Amino acid sequence: MAIELRLSHTAAVILQAIDAGQGYGLHVMELTGLPSGTVYPAMRRLERDGLIRSQWEKQSAADAEQRPPRKYYKLTRAGKSTLDRSHKRYPLLAKMIPPAEVES
Amino acid sequence: MKGFFPLAILRSAALLVPRELRAEWLAEWTGELWHVHEPAATAFCWGAYKDAFWLRRNCSAAEERHSRLEAPAHCLLLLAVLAASGWLGALLVPDVRTALAHTKITESLKGFLSVMGFAWGIVAITSRLSLGEYPVTANSPWRLIRLRRWLFLVAKVVLLLALIYIAAFGLMAFAPRMDRAVGLLLNLLVWTSALAFRWVLRDQQRRCPVCLRLLADPVRVGRSSGYFLEWNCTELVCFRGHGLLYVPECRTSWFHEQRWFYLKP
Repeated sequence: MAIELRLSHTAAVILQAIDAGQGYGLHVMELTGLPSGTVYPAMRRLERDGLIRSQWEKQSAADAEQRPPRKYYKLTRAGKSTLDRSHKRYPLLAKMIPPAEVES
Repeated sequence: MKGFFPLAILRSAALLVPRELRAEWLAEWTGELWHVHEPAATAFCWGAYKDAFWLRRNCSAAEERHSRLEAPAHCLLLLAVLAASGWLGALLVPDVRTALAHTKITESLKGFLSVMGFAWGIVAITSRLSLGEYPVTANSPWRLIRLRRWLFLVAKVVLLLALIYIAAFGLMAFAPRMDRAVGLLLNLLVWTSALAFRWVLRDQQRRCPVCLRLLADPVRVGRSSGYFLEWNCTELVCFRGHGLLYVPECRTSWFHEQRWFYLKP
């Protein structure tokens, strides 16, 4: 039987930020206030555990804005259900990333 | 385009990343760096080292070794196999067998334990002996389950002592043949034992007090520069959801030992 994956508080905050925000590392840093040295390794772990998946944006989109392409992260189905369970475990999680930030 | 220094940090950190992942890793970081405002670019890039270290550690055999020792039973089994094979191997050597037959066990144990006491003293001076704060809360497990953690520690120490004892006996059996080697062997024994005790403590500090499995996913929280205003520690989690461990980066009056938080079952 597969063991249900439990997240630390910080990992849950990062997962919430990926779900709520625009899905790239810098925005996760802005939403959570965590430094790059915490956010990027945590995102790699989440990806390794199958909770998020990454995708490069199209080169043409980046070329149109004359900048290098970006890597975006999205929650997988397992990530969504883990995040739902994390909300029960850490009730303040949703309040830490306010809805106003979500829309920006 | 950012200055030379941030890009130099990224390029040097990239050398730590496994070769097959390096190009993509560097592309991601430089892509993000493009959006970072100039004054924060250097601070942003220093984080690349941690990311690179993480990739290096987790793409190697280190992770496999870690998972082999994750379960408490596996850890004890490994120590038991090492101790048993040490004893069996030693008993196959005629010199060691003869030495064992002619030695008074109580006397040799006394000497051995005093050497171990010395090694323990070195550990006490060079590392933290405390196993951390495990406050009893509504979510704490039963006392019997908490007791299991101490039994596990005692079992590890006993198995390790058995292994060191026979190793020491084997070495000392050969010592009379080697000129002036006893002092060197004694030194070797003390320092090896000190390292082994240190490992036992460190292993115990990184285990969940409920299921005794090694904690996972260390995440650094906070920054050294903001020590008085925010947390500056490493957070670890028990994959079975029993709790979180916070290990301070340096000791303060309000947070001097690692602290465990039980989560609701």
